[in-house]
Amino acid sequence: MEAFVREKTKSTPGITLDPQQHHLEIKGESYPENSANFYSPMLEWLDNYLQQLNDTPVQVDIELIYFNSSSSKVFMNFFDMLEDTAQRGVPVTVNWKYHEDNDTALECGEEFQEDMEHVAFHLVPLEDGA
Amino acid sequence: MREIQHFYEQLKKEGIIFSFSGPVSQSLLEGIGATLRQKMSLEETSTDVMQKVFSIFVELMQNVINYSAEKGAAETGEADLRFGVLIIGKRDEQFYIQCGNYISPSQQAPLREKLNRIQGMDKNELKRYYKEQRRKEAADGSKGAGLGFIEMARRATQPLEFEILPMQNGNEFFVVKVII
Repeated sequence: MEAFVREKTKSTPGITLDPQQHHLEIKGESYPENSANFYSPMLEWLDNYLQQLNDTPVQVDIELIYFNSSSSKVFMNFFDMLEDTAQRGVPVTVNWKYHEDNDTALECGEEFQEDMEHVAFHLVPLEDGA
Repeated sequence: MREIQHFYEQLKKEGIIFSFSGPVSQSLLEGIGATLRQKMSLEETSTDVMQKVFSIFVELMQNVINYSAEKGAAETGEADLRFGVLIIGKRDEQFYIQCGNYISPSQQAPLREKLNRIQGMDKNELKRYYKEQRRKEAADGSKGAGLGFIEMARRATQPLEFEILPMQNGNEFFVVKVII
């Protein structure tokens, strides 16, 4: 399986989903005009990748400075897919990284965390200026 | 020629930082958004307030892009540009954003119902409603997730204000004001 990579733009994050290292990373901002369209290839890739996992641990690093409401729906689906995978025994760790002074990013992370039972979902503060 | 200078001074006197009227596109949103952040950052606005203003600005502009009933004539399958008006100002140390666009008569009732409902909610109720709506399938023909106004109400410091004004051409004009 090939890695899924998207370069960061002003309104879309950098995405690196690496099936060899079992490391998924999303970093930047997300407010595309049509979030469902933009992310559908990523969710399709993720679905294929997660399905073929047995018990290999997966690490997910997310650092979103800002995302709009339609992206929020996409990320909910993203985390639901991870939760389903963790539920069938694959160890999944999510690090939700946020800047200490970005209350909104922390709050959004907490709200995703509330819905996770099997995913190890960590809120990771980054020091100011990091 | 003189009118434009009066117009400019009037805007400044009212504390308006940005005003825009015309066709709205994603690239315009990105450009104004970056400048807005730069301006707030120069004024040493807190990260928290900057994020809230930016978030509300994006949701409002994308509402115009997705739902305004006033479109430019599109030729050869190019996506339509939709029109609206938006101002960002500061009064008594608080940012506010007002946004307006024409809507079709069929949009009126569901919009009014949604906003009335949101206006009556406190922050906890808004959070619950947001998470509940996020789980729902998007409405037919909707380009967004139907979460924009709930998101704005959650980031605002006061309840959203809105008006729907009947127009002579059969359309209606929708205005919303958000105070951060």
